[in-house]
Amino acid sequence: MTQDPLVSFEGVAKRFGTYTAVQKMDLDIRQGEFLALMGSSGCGKTTTLRMLAGLEAPSEGIIRLSGKPINDLPSWSRDTPMVWQSLALFPFLSVIENVEFALKMRGMGRAERRARAEQWLDRMQIAEFADRNISQLSGGQRQRVALARSLVVEPQILLLDEPLSALDAALKVRMQSVLKQLQRETGITFVYVTHSQSEAFSMADRVVIMSRGRIEQIGTPQEIYRTPRTRFVADFLGSSNIFPGTLQADAQGRAAIATDSGTFLLDGQHGAAGQAASLTVLDTRMQVHEQRPAPGVNAVEARMIGEEFTGATATLYFETPRGQEIRVQKSHEDLADLSVAMGRSFHLSWSPADSHLVHE
Amino acid sequence: MGRRISAYGLTFSLPMLIWQLLFFVFPLVFLIALSFWTVRNFRMQPDFDTVNWTTMYGRAIFWQAYGTTLALAAGAAVLTSLLAFPVAYAISFKLSDRARRWAIMLMVIPFFTSYLVRIYSWQVFLSDAGIINVMLGWIGLGPYGLLNTPGATLLGFVTLAFPLVVLLQLFSLIFIDRTLIEAAHNMRCGRLRTVFAVVIPSARVGLVIAALFAFILSFGDFVSPIYLGGGDPTTLSILITDTTKSGQQWPRAAVIALTMIVTLMAVAFLSIRFAYRGRK
Amino acid sequence: MSTENPANRNPVVNGALKLYVVLAYLFVFAPILASFVFSFNADRFPSIPLGGFSTEWYRAVASDPLVWEGLRNTLLVGVVVSVISTVLGFGAAYTDYRYNFLGKQIYLALALLPPTIPVVIMGLAMLAFLSRVNLSGDALAVIIAHVVICSPFAMAVIRLRLSQMDPSLEPAAWNLGASEWAAMRHVVIPFCRPAILGALFVTMAVSFDEFAIAWFVSGLNETLPVKVLGFLQGQVSPRINAIGSFVFVTTMTLLILAQLLLGRPDATKKENAS
Repeated sequence: MTQDPLVSFEGVAKRFGTYTAVQKMDLDIRQGEFLALMGSSGCGKTTTLRMLAGLEAPSEGIIRLSGKPINDLPSWSRDTPMVWQSLALFPFLSVIENVEFALKMRGMGRAERRARAEQWLDRMQIAEFADRNISQLSGGQRQRVALARSLVVEPQILLLDEPLSALDAALKVRMQSVLKQLQRETGITFVYVTHSQSEAFSMADRVVIMSRGRIEQIGTPQEIYRTPRTRFVADFLGSSNIFPGTLQADAQGRAAIATDSGTFLLDGQHGAAGQAASLTVLDTRMQVHEQRPAPGVNAVEARMIGEEFTGATATLYFETPRGQEIRVQKSHEDLADLSVAMGRSFHLSWSPADSHLVHE
Repeated sequence: MGRRISAYGLTFSLPMLIWQLLFFVFPLVFLIALSFWTVRNFRMQPDFDTVNWTTMYGRAIFWQAYGTTLALAAGAAVLTSLLAFPVAYAISFKLSDRARRWAIMLMVIPFFTSYLVRIYSWQVFLSDAGIINVMLGWIGLGPYGLLNTPGATLLGFVTLAFPLVVLLQLFSLIFIDRTLIEAAHNMRCGRLRTVFAVVIPSARVGLVIAALFAFILSFGDFVSPIYLGGGDPTTLSILITDTTKSGQQWPRAAVIALTMIVTLMAVAFLSIRFAYRGRK
Repeated sequence: MSTENPANRNPVVNGALKLYVVLAYLFVFAPILASFVFSFNADRFPSIPLGGFSTEWYRAVASDPLVWEGLRNTLLVGVVVSVISTVLGFGAAYTDYRYNFLGKQIYLALALLPPTIPVVIMGLAMLAFLSRVNLSGDALAVIIAHVVICSPFAMAVIRLRLSQMDPSLEPAAWNLGASEWAAMRHVVIPFCRPAILGALFVTMAVSFDEFAIAWFVSGLNETLPVKVLGFLQGQVSPRINAIGSFVFVTTMTLLILAQLLLGRPDATKKENAS
C-alpha cells in the first residue's frame, strides 16, 4: 500500500488549560481501512476524533485530510461525518428528516434528497420507520438511523465515537457485524473510537492503542494481541502474564531475562544486558505439568490459588513462592489428565518462542 | 407508591389542598356566582340574572378594550421574546460557566424589586421633562410625548416580562444536548442556520412557554396601562378597576374577570398544544 | 472540558452578542438604579441634572407614623405568611415526591397555579369572597391572600431539594426500624433543612414585596390590589423611591441569606453529616 494516507496527524497535541489530552501525535489513516482508536477513558481517543471533526482545535500540529491541512476549517466546512456516542439524533425531526438533514444543508432539492434518504433507510432496513419520531424507536433502530444520517452523503470517511456503548450485549454483537459489512461494502474509511477490546479486535483492520494522550501501539489485532509492544499494552489487554526483570545473557551466551521468579530464556536478541524490561507470556501459551518439565523450556513452580470456568475454557490462577501471580487459560480437555486442586503445586512452562519482551 | 390512604400521607397532602380550595378555587368559583348577582341602590344582592353579561357584552367599550388588551399582550409576548432571545442565547452558549452564574443571578434580582417602583422610574425617564427628553434636548431634539402612549405601555409590559422570559428561554437553551449542535455543524450546517434548524426547534417548548408567560403577565397587568399608557386606550384590567370603583358594580367586574380567565386558559391551551405539536 | 473550536467561532458575532447582553442588563437595571439614585435627590420632581444629595425623602418616610405602622404590619404578615406557606409547601412537595395518585395533576395545578393568575383578578375574587365570609379588611385577609400566592414558591424550593434526595433513603430508615414519622423527623426534614430555611426567606421576600409599598403608603386598611390603584396618581413623590429602595435592600438581604443557606453544597453536606 503505497497510496497517500487519507488523514494524517502531524505532531498534533491538544491541551485543555494545564491538562494535556493528546501529546504530540503522529498518525496516518489509510484510505478505506477500518481503524479503531482504543484506550480507557481519558486516554485522548475521543479528543483525537473530535479534532478530526473540527469540534476541538489542536493546540499544535497539523491535521491533513486528503493531503490538505484542515486545522482552520470550521466543522461545517469539513466532510467528516460523525456518529456520536449519544447518537445526537434530532428529536424534533422524523426519522427520514434526520437522514435528509445533511443533504438539505448541501442544498439538494427536496425530491432528490428524499429519494436518497429512502434508499439509505432501505439499506439500513428501517424504511418502515421513515415517518416515526426518534423517541418511538428502539436502541438498535436509532443506531441504524444515525448511521444512515451520516452515510447518506457518501463520505470518504466516517467517524464513530463509541456508538454501540448504549446497546445490550447481544445487539452489540449484531451491530458489530452490520458495521463491518457496511464498511467492506462501501469502502468508506471508518475511524472507530472504543474502550472495548472485543469491539476493536472484531471489527478493525488496524487498532491504535492510546494511553494518557500517547499512542502506545499501532497494528493489526493479531499483532497487538500476540506481541504487545509496551508493558501498558500487555496490561491493558490483560491476556499476558508479565514478569518484570533485567536482561542478561545466560552461560551459553543466549539471551535471557532475570526476574523475581527465575531466569528465563528468550528467543533471539533483545537488547543490551543490564537493561530493564518485562517478559510477557500469553496465558494461552502456558503449560501446566505435575512433574518438572524437561530442560529447554522455561519453567516455574507455583501453587494453585484459584480457578474460573467460563464456557469452553478454564482459567487457573497460580502464585509463585515469590508472590508473582500467573494466569493460565486451558480448554477442559487439556486439563483432563491433571488433578487440579486448590493449594497444590504445579510446574508451569512455556517455550522461549512464546516469550516476548516489552520495554516500559 | 400505591394508592393507599394513610393518616401520615394525608397530613402532608391535605393542608395545601384545603387552603388552595378554600382561598384560591372558591374565590374564583365565587366570581362565577357573583357575575349573576344584581346591584340595587349600590347594594349587591344574590340573584341569578344574566343582566351583567348582556350589559357588558353589549358595550362597544368592552370589545374595544378586549381587542386592545389582546393586541397589546400579544405584541408584548412577541416583542419580549424577540428581544430576550439573543440574551438567553448568548448567556447559554457564549459565556463561561462563571459569567453565566452571575448573569442568571442578576436576572433574578428584578423579581424582588417592586414593579410599581420600576414603572414609576420609567415615568421619570419618559415624561416631558424627563431624562430621555432632557438628553434629546442636548442634541436639539424633542421634547417628544413619550409618556401616555401605547408604546410606553408596551415598555412597561416588556419591563415586567423580560427577566422571566430570558430565564425561561435560558433554561430551555442550556439543556439542549450540545451534541445536537455539534452534529448539525458536522453535517454542514453553519452557525446562523444551526440556530434556526436545531437550537430553536430543540427549545421550542421552552420558548413558547416563555412567550405564554409574557402574554399572561401583560394581559392581566393594570399598572403599566394606567401609569405609562395613561389609561388610554382602555384595557380590560383598567375596565375591571373602573367598574369595581363605580357604584359597587362588582358583578360586572366579575364578568370581565371571567372573560379574561377564559381567554387566558384558551391561549394557554393553544400555545401548549402548539409547543408540543408533532411530539408523541 | 470541551472548548469550542476557534474555527467555529466568529469574534464579530460574539462581540456583538455580548454587547447586546450588556445593553439588555442596562435596560433591566435602569429603572431600579434610577429609583435608587433619585431617592437621594433633593428635587421634588426627579429629572436630570440631579439636584443636591439629600436624605429628605427617607426622613419624610421615617417621620410618618403610618409608614411605621405599615412596616410593623408588613413584618408581622411576612413572618406569619412565610411560616404557613413553608408548612403547606413542604407538605405538597413531599406529596409530589412520595405519592402517586389519581388526580395528582390537578393537585399539582392547584398547588402551583396561583401566581399565574393576574393580580387584578385574584384581588377582585379574594376581596369579593373574603368580604362575603367577613374576613376582609384586616391583616388576616392579607395573610390568607399572600399564602395562596407564596406557598407555590415554597413548594418549588423544597421540591427541588427533595429531587436531590436518594429515593432509597427513606426505605433504608424504615428498614432499620424507623416508623414513617420517625423517618420524616430524622431523615427527610434534616435533609430538607436548608431548603426549608430558604423557603421561609423566599416566601417572606415575596410577601414583603407584594404590595408592600401600597401597604406603606395607603396605611392599614388599603391592602389588596384593587384598593391600591389610586396610589401612584395621587402621591407622585420621591418618597416612593425611598420606600422602594428600602424594601429592595431588605428583600435582597433576605434573598442573599436564602442563597447562602441553599447555595452551598458543602454547608449542607456538613449539616447532613452531623
